[in-house]
Amino acid sequence: MRWMALIWKSLMRSKRRTLLIVGSLILSVFTVAVLQSLLTTLDAVTNNPNSSNRLVVRHKSGLTQMLPRSYEAYLRQQSEVETVCALQWFGGYYQDPRNFFANFASDETTLFQTFREEFGVAGITEAQIKEYLRDGAGCIVGESLAQKNGWKVGDVVPLTGTIFPINPRLTIRLIYKSPKPSDENVLHFHYKVLEEGVPRMKGLVGSFWVRTHRPEDIPRFIERVDRHYANSAYETLTETENAFNLSFVKMLGNIGAIIQGITAAVVVAILIVTGNTMATAIRERTTEIAVFRAMGFSAGRVLALLLSEGVLLVGAGGGLGVLLANLAAGGVRESLGVAMPFFADFAILPDTVLACMAGALGIGVLATFVPAYAATRRPITDGLKAIG
Amino acid sequence: MNADRFDLGGGEPIITLRDVAKSYWREALEIPVLQGIDLEIPRGAYIALMGPSGSGKTTLLNLVAGIDRPTGGSLEVCGHELNALDDDQLAAWRNAHVGFIFQNYNLVPVLNAFENVELPLLLTGAGRGERRDRVEEALALVNLTDRMWNYPRQLSGGQEQRVAIARAIVTDPDLLVADEPTGALDAKNAEEVLALMARLNSEYQKTIVMVTHDPKAAHHARHQIHLEKGVLDKAVEVNR
Repeated sequence: MRWMALIWKSLMRSKRRTLLIVGSLILSVFTVAVLQSLLTTLDAVTNNPNSSNRLVVRHKSGLTQMLPRSYEAYLRQQSEVETVCALQWFGGYYQDPRNFFANFASDETTLFQTFREEFGVAGITEAQIKEYLRDGAGCIVGESLAQKNGWKVGDVVPLTGTIFPINPRLTIRLIYKSPKPSDENVLHFHYKVLEEGVPRMKGLVGSFWVRTHRPEDIPRFIERVDRHYANSAYETLTETENAFNLSFVKMLGNIGAIIQGITAAVVVAILIVTGNTMATAIRERTTEIAVFRAMGFSAGRVLALLLSEGVLLVGAGGGLGVLLANLAAGGVRESLGVAMPFFADFAILPDTVLACMAGALGIGVLATFVPAYAATRRPITDGLKAIG
Repeated sequence: MNADRFDLGGGEPIITLRDVAKSYWREALEIPVLQGIDLEIPRGAYIALMGPSGSGKTTLLNLVAGIDRPTGGSLEVCGHELNALDDDQLAAWRNAHVGFIFQNYNLVPVLNAFENVELPLLLTGAGRGERRDRVEEALALVNLTDRMWNYPRQLSGGQEQRVAIARAIVTDPDLLVADEPTGALDAKNAEEVLALMARLNSEYQKTIVMVTHDPKAAHHARHQIHLEKGVLDKAVEVNR
């Protein structure tokens, strides 16, 4: 028999209790891992490093209000600006309203330059871009979206409009790969399809996406643009792309505080449950612990054995919880990633895994140490007298 | 029986107690359990500690076995002054020199007989092969080779106690301490266990100190030491 076998057999003393505590740990660690990963994912949406020098210019009154496309000329004239892309959320669906994904009417001439990180431009050839620019009824789609729908270059995608009364039939001219899965669940088509199909949209657009030369240019630019259009018929609200995304996340309420609150509650609950279970398990073995010590096991060695049991227990629960969370993350990406692109990036990151495992092991040590220490400090003669 | 006081047959002492006292405290109240115990037990002795409940016999056994500490006096057991050892040293000393036999066997229920007997050897640094040989030898000595893979719940009370004896002797200790070793056994099993202990004493020269209420069990010892209200009352040699 090896030490590990002794620890394992002691843990399996009450299989039902062990399975129940491991089960509760799996559930707790799973919950914490998923919630923390949701927070990380949302955080990534609002802290996208690719957005550091991008801005959104939109109507001050809200996203449903349009801006004149003529504003683009003014924006381009600013010395800080590298490029400007007019972008309008189209909100169409493919075949079935449930088959929803992000689709935009966008200025095809500046799209690739403005979002070059997202399009992974290095992998796109000039010829492919030209092909898209040439075909006014063409569109580009991310590889992930194309795979989900079985699309390939040359296929016709009929979109049914939900906001605008047109149903464009678009031919895929380019399928792009992106470093982030969330950026591959998007379709873009030529802005003039919208302008020509919807008369009220002529000369108007929902937003301009501006790329500046340097991030430091942004504050000065924001101030100047909004001042320029102040008190006009179409006042602007200019903000960084991250701030723009944050406004959507904020619609969910103070999700960070909610998640951290739930996490804290779960941690405290599992600490109490594990502590109580370990205390009961150790108390039941009072006589056995005394016998071990009588045979020559030092208090420190008995403590180490008991702590090993606790750590192994929570380690198993924590590990399985994280594994389950990883499996669930794949399901979330698959089921929600298209309709809500940021979920396409949903993953249990190594930092979250480490934090969950460290937390679980910490709980194991803490929950076991107190009763185990007390048990090993108890006089052997008292332990032998106890009803074990 | 020979009624000479504290004459345990002479020879090299394995246990020497000098003015040993033990008291317990209940808040401010001191409860003396043992007082002024002077005793020499020679190597190879087989002693039955007897006396009424509360006379201090189990306390004396615990002191000799190094699982309790006296509040006064000195104990030298197996060549070591126990008061001079710290807790970890005392634990190592117990592992090397003392084997325990309890009334309720106290086997670990999740370990089979082999693993129970192997437990004290885990502390000795013996390799796997050596441990296996010694466990098999100990189980053979208690005539349980055929039950070595059985768990305690699959053994009778007598068999459990024999496994406990194998566990007590597997490290080849000088001293065996037994607290009511037949207290939970029927007459037949008790007789088997006592015969085994007598054999360990006579054939393997193990020094045995046994606490018992049972005169029949005490009759297997070579000497009986009687305690009365925490003091040694008399020692008698058992004539068979």
